[in-house]
Amino acid sequence: MERKETLSLLCVLVCVWTQATYTQGSTKVPEDFTPEPIVLPHFTSCRSREQETFRCWWSTGSLANLSEPGALAVFFHQNNLMPIGWQECPDYTATVENECYFNKSFTHIWTSYCVQLRATSQNITYDEYCFTVENIVHPDPPVGLNWTLLNVSRSGINFDILVRWAPPPSADVQTGWMSLKYEVHYRVRNASHWDKLEQESGSQQSIYGLQTDKEYEVRIRCKMSAFDNFGDFSESVFVQVAPIPTKVSVFPMALLLVFGVVGMLFLLVLIIFSQQQRLMVILLPPVPAPKIKGIDPELLKKGKMDQLNSLLSSQHMYNHDTYREDPWVEFIQLDLDDACEKNENSDTQRLLGLTRPGLKGDDDSGRASCYDPDFLPDTEGLLAAHSEMEERHPLVSESSPSTPSPELAETPFFPVQSQPVSQSWINMDFYAQVSDVTPAGAVVLSPGQQNDTPSKNPVDKTKKEEEEAGKEEEHEKKMKLQLLVVDPDRGYSHEVIARQVESSGAPFCSAPEIAYHTLPPEPAEEPHGWHGEYLAPDGEAQMAYFLPEAPPASMLPPVSDYTVVQEVDDQRSLLLNPSARQSPACPPNPIKHLPSMPAVPVGYLTPELLENLSP
Amino acid sequence: MSRNRTQAMLFVALLCLDLHARVGSAPICPHGHTGCHILSLADLFDRVIQHSARMHGLSSDLHSEFEQYFLPSKNHISRVYRKCHTSNILTPNGKENAQKLAREELTEVIMKLLMAWRDPLSQLHQSMAHQQDFNSFSSNKALEMSDMVHELRKGVEKVTEKMQLLGMISNSVSGLSSPEALLPASESGEALSDYELLYCFRRDSDKVQNYLKILKCRIVPEHGC
Repeated sequence: MERKETLSLLCVLVCVWTQATYTQGSTKVPEDFTPEPIVLPHFTSCRSREQETFRCWWSTGSLANLSEPGALAVFFHQNNLMPIGWQECPDYTATVENECYFNKSFTHIWTSYCVQLRATSQNITYDEYCFTVENIVHPDPPVGLNWTLLNVSRSGINFDILVRWAPPPSADVQTGWMSLKYEVHYRVRNASHWDKLEQESGSQQSIYGLQTDKEYEVRIRCKMSAFDNFGDFSESVFVQVAPIPTKVSVFPMALLLVFGVVGMLFLLVLIIFSQQQRLMVILLPPVPAPKIKGIDPELLKKGKMDQLNSLLSSQHMYNHDTYREDPWVEFIQLDLDDACEKNENSDTQRLLGLTRPGLKGDDDSGRASCYDPDFLPDTEGLLAAHSEMEERHPLVSESSPSTPSPELAETPFFPVQSQPVSQSWINMDFYAQVSDVTPAGAVVLSPGQQNDTPSKNPVDKTKKEEEEAGKEEEHEKKMKLQLLVVDPDRGYSHEVIARQVESSGAPFCSAPEIAYHTLPPEPAEEPHGWHGEYLAPDGEAQMAYFLPEAPPASMLPPVSDYTVVQEVDDQRSLLLNPSARQSPACPPNPIKHLPSMPAVPVGYLTPELLENLSP
Repeated sequence: MSRNRTQAMLFVALLCLDLHARVGSAPICPHGHTGCHILSLADLFDRVIQHSARMHGLSSDLHSEFEQYFLPSKNHISRVYRKCHTSNILTPNGKENAQKLAREELTEVIMKLLMAWRDPLSQLHQSMAHQQDFNSFSSNKALEMSDMVHELRKGVEKVTEKMQLLGMISNSVSGLSSPEALLPASESGEALSDYELLYCFRRDSDKVQNYLKILKCRIVPEHGC
């Protein structure tokens, strides 16, 4: 880069030097060069002003000997029908040097002229010029140029003028000999550019759009129409219009504007300060807090559990703990819708009767619970074992005439527990109706609502047992003591029922449900009585009407927690070791009479026993 | 509704046009027919002079265009083309000469000139149209020029009739009905070239224009003279 720059600089310098030397050389050696070219005499111009006369001018040139007056002569020749030949200039103007004037007699329009410049002493023609007169007409400038103000704009900035003139007096326009075209020029004074307005004919012209604060210069010239030779310009006329003092109107406007702006600013500031909060919100909106869709956060803060539960459960994102703990609930299937509907008892029964986990040993009950497990608040130790039962109590099923079997709702039934009565009672679910109070002091709870038909009350226990496999753990009470939540569908393992079974054979043909709560304070009462009471001689009929009065005090002996299962029925119902009594057999349910079993420790059913029991 | 409106508008427009026609552009009634508006002589002269001015402008334009093509020398015009075919027509060469001429003679000169250029101009147009050197504008101008000469001749005839009607000139104007066909030929008999024709016609159109103006200002001097 630097090299290139230096090279260019060098070149420039060399060029300049050579040019300088050349010019110097040229000027310094005058002898070698001709000082200046010789200018011969020649015609400078020929002009006609009015198309009636014309003049020709010439210059003598640089020759010194020809500059004397009279050394040159002008000869002219006109091409008309009468060829006269060359004539000398008719009139050499005395006052003007080197001018030849042709007057009217020598001027013929539409005739071509040729003028020659000859040396008088020698026969040398220096110059010749041919023309026709109409082509050398340059009219005189118009005269009488003046202007008048047409109007001034409202704002006082612009104005219009009307320029008038008169045709040159030399031009004979009146006779129509010459028709002139005018051209008006105007410019701002001392500007370099002229604006032109061409006028076809006439003697006036309007100029629009001039500005009041400037001075204008106007001039005019003319030419013959259909010819191209303009004459000289006229004298310039200066135009200036004093600007109307519009400051008065401008000043208030400016003031108004300023005041308006100030007022607006003031208002804006006021608004900003008064509505600061709102503006802050608008400009910087608060970040919205995380929100659970569909749930009012206020409710979360203040709401009650019920509402929350309902809300959240509806959101499908919150599962009650009972769900977790009772997975088998998912698999519950409703056998019959009627069973759910008609068994109000089952509600209470279910509430009352809770099964332990694993009692059935079969998690898949296949029967859905009609009732929401949520109804069981206290789930510990409470299992709806009934739900696992898929089979209905055979006794119940066979005792179809009484029919409540389908109505039997599946309710978790309360397993036989070895717990004391009170405890078991405590474990009982929410509520049960006290149907009667035994003289012994036991409270007989009825399972259902008040409007329960008596037919429904009894015999829930007559349900079937659970499956034998799961039954083992079940502790059957000798005395039906606690909740009798029996679901014929599910089966159950309740000693009472067992007793009923064994005693009555198939006393539980009808399968109404009954939740029987007995609160026998006395333990180990004789179950017989109770059973006996329970088991009416006419099993079936009695069953149906087995009502709260059924269990007199004697009938409600405290049921022991455990009962030995003596036998498993062919329908897989457990036959508990009871008293030796035998219930009136339900014909459809032949009951085997259990062989008397050796006394077994109450409470536990060993597998060996079970084997023995199994038919 | 729109129909009625358009009809009304058309009717009004027709009325306006009709009125304007009556005022401005009524046809010339040769025999003084009643009912048609008679143009004044001044108006006739104005029309004719406008025509001649237009014709002269066209001839000047064409001539300058030709000069661009051929670039004749400064003295070329006067040396070579000294004779036009109309040179034998005696025409006043100056204002005084023109003013000295009688009206009838002046009118006659005008008519002669216009008659002399009828055929040559059509020939010029045809030759220009065939040549490739000229653009369409030039040939159109030549055509317009020839038409204009024709129109101008008719106009001058009308003016002459009018003047004779008004008694301003005598009826001794001759040469109108029987035009003499002047062949455009120089003294040597050669046909003039296009450029020569244009040069000659330009000169003659200027003559016609000036003569008409002089005539008008002599006869009806009140308007624009």
